[in-house]
Amino acid sequence: MFNYKQYQSQSFKHSAYSSLAGLLIIMTLSACDQKPSTDHIDYNPTAPIEKGGTMIDALSGEPSGLIAMIAGESSASAIASNIFNSLLKYDKNLELTGELAQSWDISSDQRTITFHLKPNLKWADGEPLTSNDVMFTWQTVTDDNTRTPYGADYKLVIKAETPDKNTFRVTYAQPYAPALDSWSGLHILPKHLLQNQDINTSSFARNPVGSHYYKLDQWKSGESISLSRNENATQGQANIDRLVSRIIPDRAAQFLELMADNIDSMSLNSIQYARIFPARPDLNEKFSLYKELGNSYTYLGFNLKHKPFDDIRVRKAINYAIDKQEIIDGVLLGLGLPVASPYKPGTRWSNPKLKPYSYNPQKAIELLKAAGFEDHDGDGILDKDGKPLAFEILTNQNKEREMSAVLIQRRLKEIGIDVKIRVVEWATFISRFIKTGDFNVVLLGWGLGVEPDQYNIWHSSQQAPGQFNFIGYQNKKVDHLLEKGRLELNPDKRMKIYHDFAEILLEDSPIVYLYAGYGLPAMHKRIKGIDNPAPPAGIGHNAYEWYIPKPYRRNEMSAN
Amino acid sequence: MLSYLLKRLFWMVPLLVGISLISFLIMHLAPGDITSTEAGFNPKTSEESRQKLREMYNLDKPVVVQYGLWLKRISKLDFGHSFASHQKPVFWEEKDKDGNITKGMIQEALPITLLINVLSLILIIAIALPLGVISALTQNKLPDRAITIFVFIGFAIPGFWLALMLMYWTGVSHHWLPISGLHSLGSDKLPWISQVIDTLHHLTLPILISGLTGLAGISLFVRNGMLDVLHQDYITTARAKGLPEHTVVYKHALRNALLPLITIFGLSIPGLIGGSVIAESIFAIPGMGKLFYDAVLMRDFPVIMGILTIGSALTLLGNLLADLAYAWADPRVRKGVSS
Amino acid sequence: MRSIFRNPLAVAGLCIISAILLMAMFAPFIAPYDPDAIHVKTILLAPSAEHIMGTDGLGRDVWSRMLFGARISLLVGIVAVGIATIIGIFLGAIAGFYRGWVDTVIMRLVDVMLSIPTFFLILAVIAFLTPSIWNIMIVIGLTSWMGVTRLVRAEFLSLRNREFVLASQTLGAKDYRLIFKHLLPNSLTPIIVSSVLGVASAVLVESGLSFLGLGVQAPQASWGNILTDGKEYIEFAWWLSLFPGIAILITVLGYNLLGEGLRDALDPRTSKN
Repeated sequence: MFNYKQYQSQSFKHSAYSSLAGLLIIMTLSACDQKPSTDHIDYNPTAPIEKGGTMIDALSGEPSGLIAMIAGESSASAIASNIFNSLLKYDKNLELTGELAQSWDISSDQRTITFHLKPNLKWADGEPLTSNDVMFTWQTVTDDNTRTPYGADYKLVIKAETPDKNTFRVTYAQPYAPALDSWSGLHILPKHLLQNQDINTSSFARNPVGSHYYKLDQWKSGESISLSRNENATQGQANIDRLVSRIIPDRAAQFLELMADNIDSMSLNSIQYARIFPARPDLNEKFSLYKELGNSYTYLGFNLKHKPFDDIRVRKAINYAIDKQEIIDGVLLGLGLPVASPYKPGTRWSNPKLKPYSYNPQKAIELLKAAGFEDHDGDGILDKDGKPLAFEILTNQNKEREMSAVLIQRRLKEIGIDVKIRVVEWATFISRFIKTGDFNVVLLGWGLGVEPDQYNIWHSSQQAPGQFNFIGYQNKKVDHLLEKGRLELNPDKRMKIYHDFAEILLEDSPIVYLYAGYGLPAMHKRIKGIDNPAPPAGIGHNAYEWYIPKPYRRNEMSAN
Repeated sequence: MLSYLLKRLFWMVPLLVGISLISFLIMHLAPGDITSTEAGFNPKTSEESRQKLREMYNLDKPVVVQYGLWLKRISKLDFGHSFASHQKPVFWEEKDKDGNITKGMIQEALPITLLINVLSLILIIAIALPLGVISALTQNKLPDRAITIFVFIGFAIPGFWLALMLMYWTGVSHHWLPISGLHSLGSDKLPWISQVIDTLHHLTLPILISGLTGLAGISLFVRNGMLDVLHQDYITTARAKGLPEHTVVYKHALRNALLPLITIFGLSIPGLIGGSVIAESIFAIPGMGKLFYDAVLMRDFPVIMGILTIGSALTLLGNLLADLAYAWADPRVRKGVSS
Repeated sequence: MRSIFRNPLAVAGLCIISAILLMAMFAPFIAPYDPDAIHVKTILLAPSAEHIMGTDGLGRDVWSRMLFGARISLLVGIVAVGIATIIGIFLGAIAGFYRGWVDTVIMRLVDVMLSIPTFFLILAVIAFLTPSIWNIMIVIGLTSWMGVTRLVRAEFLSLRNREFVLASQTLGAKDYRLIFKHLLPNSLTPIIVSSVLGVASAVLVESGLSFLGLGVQAPQASWGNILTDGKEYIEFAWWLSLFPGIAILITVLGYNLLGEGLRDALDPRTSKN
């Protein structure tokens, strides 16, 4: 008998198999190679400057809005800095210069600053930009109803005046040297568009109108933010027509996109810079690598209110016991600098006479011995009064910090200090350990300021929970210097004050300066006009002068 | 049937309250809130201003009070505004006095996640059904063994690993598929069809990854279901009656084997709404999973609560629909005969 | 029992799992290097004779880390499932035995838990507490008991009316005696199968969490967090991505095979004809 069962199940199987096959074929066909290969273009030759083109970069997070004073994230200020101007800015050597202001005067009692705006400034929508806008911005940032954490500096102004359209004058109760820096960080907002709006909820944050080189073209939520040329830009015209920032939160994906030629720039980490790129000639054909002064330094901080860290000999001993060059070579693959003060090396505020503590374990042991720590019970760990010298280093989830902690742990073990490492998630770190003062040693970072004032971090009055002197540093001389530094507006006199400050800080060793890593941007070679070597302000200082020669521009439509 | 429906709907309310209570309590387990995030530890900000922010967000009130305030608001379907992105409403869009519309966060993210999961469900059905059937029909012979091996491996592959491997292979080694994101740059200038294809390209990998485990599970389930059914007496009877094989397989066996599948789909709805945090993070797809993950890291309470509550509500709804569909499909239930 | 060994799936699974368990147990003896030893000079080396699985971004030997990672992944899987099973048996037994409003309450609770997207819940809880091995184990355990509960309850419901139960009750046997001596032992099969499969699932969840950075924390090694490192250097250091992924795959596969094999072997209802 004909085996229907076999036959029918065969044919059913056939149809099942063929549908599967069909599906696979369809998927493969539709996924055919999309891009015309750009692999054979030589990007090395330069070409004359031409306006036009699009530069694409990546953002790790999406801004919550583009009004920088309200949105806290770095991605927000990064984009907003292309849209808005401030009164002042920093030039390539990190000296203050005017942006909206063409000049400024400081009164003889140093309490009043008068900014003279450049003439004929306009907003992107064509309206004139005047001192009224500056006044409006100042009023907004100091308004108690504005949800901003940045108001403190501006509230110190006791009187703000606009004698005429192009003049803005502020008076402080006392001379306040950080004021000038604060005016370089305040994006001036348009009064005519915001005066009847609630700044906290206004749709302006997603639809801003500024005055800088670019204006917002399109914001695709969760995907990308595109900026296009602002014809009324106050500072002139940039060369590149459009800036697109793609939101790619994952660094690994960013790197893949870089390799696939879907973004033009990325800031690399040490391993990518020093190990991966050198091994890939195809990448080197397309990208140029740069080194810039980093913006932060990493340190090991002691809780000065806990024993034994109140003993300066213990702190210095730990300082001598750590091999900082080893950390730079191992963690940063050599791409960083040791620092001896909280300022960018090579800038005016950094005291050139100060040298970091050398690696000297012998000296460390001697200092600890003088402080009463010896290995009395022969277990390999130093002890005093029966208690071993052991503590926990707390740090947050940051690869470089974790690696540094491990190297430190090893070096300290060698001289007999038992160290455990604990990695804590950031928000928990702050609220559970920092604010409560419940820690012994932390491994963290601070910014390397262009504004030398360090009052918030080192003054003895800043030790309340939630304030930044959480390590509990108290030094009358330092307090005095920090106070004086705020009152002195003359740059040279100020410099001396902060040089002295850094010297005392180094001597007291309340923290161990570990390193200041380099910024390591990788830029596609199609972007021309980049300064190499990078000046102190970094390669981005003249971004508006960069250009993309026509033959190197992307074909917009097929950019995958 | 109607009383069943009413009883189920009635039960949904306390369930939802229970879910929201659990979610709320969990969130307040942790130290730290929105003001203690990255932007919050900046020497340029002051403790007073952070305290002020806390007051504005009602974070300084006792937990019970906060919960009560929140419950009151969601009874009007107002899930509040995200702490992290101050202007964006959590759930649905809002119009301000100038007529500008700000879209809600869930409103934007949910369709994307739903799209990925629905498409992956279709993919699963399209592949798992034939696989399961082939497997059942060729039990213990080569195709069955091969499919079984494939299924087991599918169960065991960590999704995020496969995502990475595929992303590299298809996106970097060969430029077949885009690496991340939802649309290509400038895609909105393309004709409608190209835009659709572009989006599908971007979604291919997420759909594949989402679908893979489901594929394995469903295909095994279909196989076992079919096997169970194929050995039942009524199938033997049908064959003895001389019915052609494909009628036996299709009309009788497969239909009955598929009934429980409806319940399975119902049970996998939390997975649908949940989306995949990992796949969306890796491929930078702005869906519910990524939204949730970001909100958790930022301690953005309104968004977290919103997603958990809405997600659970949709799940309950989905389960209800699945049960109703089952009740309709199974004549035993439909006609009121207890099974 | 003998049928287990005749079932090829179960045997395969058993072999795989035993191999991994042995390696994990003897990790300190097998591992050629200290898994936590950072060596700045050996960063990101490809697999070689000295480092058969290469080294990671901190110069640590990957093979040694994989061995210790096996301990973590298995430990988390087994303990988490243990917690889930204990809760599940407890709740399921009570629900199935006493029925009535106790049953209703417990089943509603099961419904609530099943309605919340599980991974979200786990993510939120872990992120809000400090990620640590114990927290992960407890959280995974607390979110996976629902299946066991239903199984146990179903078994109890069906066994409850059997003759031997009624007989024991007539003889005056106390409740807990009934539960522990009679009902539970007869419900063991689905519990065992579910537990074995549960370990597979827990291992996947743990590695997913570690991958996201919310699981096992550095410097402790876990397969998931080796992959996190691998993610950054995916096209340069393929070994960091390949080996942990395969390890997870094989482990989960082993547990799944064993689980399915046990189900086939022990469940009298699945016929093989």
